[in-house]
Amino acid sequence: MTASHPFNRILIANRGEIAVRVIRACREMGIESVAVYSDADARALHASLADVAVRIGPPPAIESYLSIDAILAAARQTGAQAIHPGYGFLSENADFASACDAAGVAFIGPPPQAIERMGSKIAARTLAIEAGVPVVPGETPADQSDAAIADAARRVGFPVLLKPSEGGGGIGMKTARSDRDLVEAIPQGRREALAAFGDGTLYVERLIEQPRHIEFQVLADHHGHIVHLFERECSIQRRHQKVIEESPSPVVTPALRQRMGDAAVAVARKAGYRNAGTVEFLVEGAGDSARFYFLEMNTRLQVEHPVTEQVTGVDLVRAQIGIAAGRELAWTQKDLSQRGHAIELRVYAEDPANHDLPQAGSLLLYREPTMPGVRIDSGVTEGSDVAVHYDPLLVKLIASGETRSAARARALAAIRDYPVLGIRTNIPLLIELLQHPRFVAGNIDTGFLDAEGDAIRARLSSSPSPAVVAVAAAARASGTTAASRGVARANNIDPWSSLRGARV
Amino acid sequence: MSDPGDPIDIVPLGNGRFQVTQGTKRTIAYAIAGRDTWVFLDGHTFVVNDTADGSPRRSRIDEQGALTAPMPATVLKINVAAGQPVQRNDVVMVLEAMKMELPIRSPRDGVVKAIRCEAGELVQPGTMLLELEDAKIAP
Repeated sequence: MTASHPFNRILIANRGEIAVRVIRACREMGIESVAVYSDADARALHASLADVAVRIGPPPAIESYLSIDAILAAARQTGAQAIHPGYGFLSENADFASACDAAGVAFIGPPPQAIERMGSKIAARTLAIEAGVPVVPGETPADQSDAAIADAARRVGFPVLLKPSEGGGGIGMKTARSDRDLVEAIPQGRREALAAFGDGTLYVERLIEQPRHIEFQVLADHHGHIVHLFERECSIQRRHQKVIEESPSPVVTPALRQRMGDAAVAVARKAGYRNAGTVEFLVEGAGDSARFYFLEMNTRLQVEHPVTEQVTGVDLVRAQIGIAAGRELAWTQKDLSQRGHAIELRVYAEDPANHDLPQAGSLLLYREPTMPGVRIDSGVTEGSDVAVHYDPLLVKLIASGETRSAARARALAAIRDYPVLGIRTNIPLLIELLQHPRFVAGNIDTGFLDAEGDAIRARLSSSPSPAVVAVAAAARASGTTAASRGVARANNIDPWSSLRGARV
Repeated sequence: MSDPGDPIDIVPLGNGRFQVTQGTKRTIAYAIAGRDTWVFLDGHTFVVNDTADGSPRRSRIDEQGALTAPMPATVLKINVAAGQPVQRNDVVMVLEAMKMELPIRSPRDGVVKAIRCEAGELVQPGTMLLELEDAKIAP
């Protein structure tokens, strides 16, 4: 390793908390950061923190954060030598990675071929099988007759899921637990697939009951070294959106961890993977005999990467930048270990009492909790305007402790000491989840929130106590208003904007 | 420890923070008034709608210096008399609602111009409780 760094300016092709996270890593490493922003984000935290900020277009993402041309133009204009894509937006777009290569800008991520291969569910599944990693048993019978599909179901093993081969998003999926169920499920599934996707072809897959979503972080350099950084348990999710993640998983034993970690590295190696990536598995059962199946590989930094950082002590963003600069990994597998426990809570601008509707508005009052073992990765600050154009993730609170129970207690104390006023958030839901007996016991699966969500939500709304009403009255009486505290209001003309062009 | 019947005492600490004391239990609350008033207390967030019950829940002081009731309540005790000087945060009267005492504090230094309610009276949100005026400067 050399002391000097080949990058002295990095463009961050993202917004929100992840852009802030990367900007801070650049600053620590002595690298200048270039933020890009849409008109909706002209005063956003990421745009104000970076050393340089470039406007890339109007609020719709397709014309700004998803515009390859606009982002590469910003890189050229600012002389950035590398681009960090964050997550979402262009992070898993092989065309963008190729365009960066063609423009002579380093893409801080895997090669385009790896993005493309792992981006196709079918190609990724084939690759996992080639790497000797188990996948959820399933097939698309060439003969789509009722009898042939029933044969396939028996080969795959009951219970099975019949899925539209061209589908997605859970539409048209039918469960069958026996031959008898198939009589109705096959024609029904075919009709629904045809109606929804214009193609009645069915895929037959083994239904994994009460699965856990457990993923492994991997890092691969350009010198043939690949390591994994253990697991993240991400089973608390609703409609496939993760809400709480943790590491280690309460059910992964050392023997299972070893097998899954080896499998994750094998997939990454087979894919010719470079940089940070995540191999996702479904896990069935618990203990050493639990079975795991490759689900997919995410070819980017994950939202939940901080829990891995907290238990391994590795800064994944620094590692990504180092790898992109051609450095060798600083550790071998045996140098890495998990210590303690970390839990991440995702704070979303959405109303848990009202169908999780996304919320927009100004953060009139926003105070982050400060206490030992609590990390806040935030994309907002007091006075920030939250727009409806983008992902509703505002901030991630990561609590660390020596044990799971200590981390949970700390997460609960911190989230209860986190006033976010002006827009509704899912904080009340997070408080309930952390205290749910099944979460406390670590007895969770991917169906947990969908199954328990309504009961939890029913407990959320409570009428204000006299103390609350009294505080509200005191706030009004003492003139504690947004205007008095200088919080900018959405759509207000702000005096500094109107001074533009004036001699000051 | 606190008892639901203990009076609630609220002292503004500035910058949206309020010390809430009930019995011997102390808590920091956060609040900010916008179109609605947002309150954060004990890990819970509330939006106190100014017109939740259809009547204007005007907060306690209007331009004429009138202190009004923030919620439906019974006047339990009046601590001041007309003509009496008061300081900011002095408890000028105590209301009772839902079996809890709610101290009403003077929002600023001044002199009580008139008392507009009686002990035992049931007041509605927006009902004028007393009028304040600026202290006269001695000639």
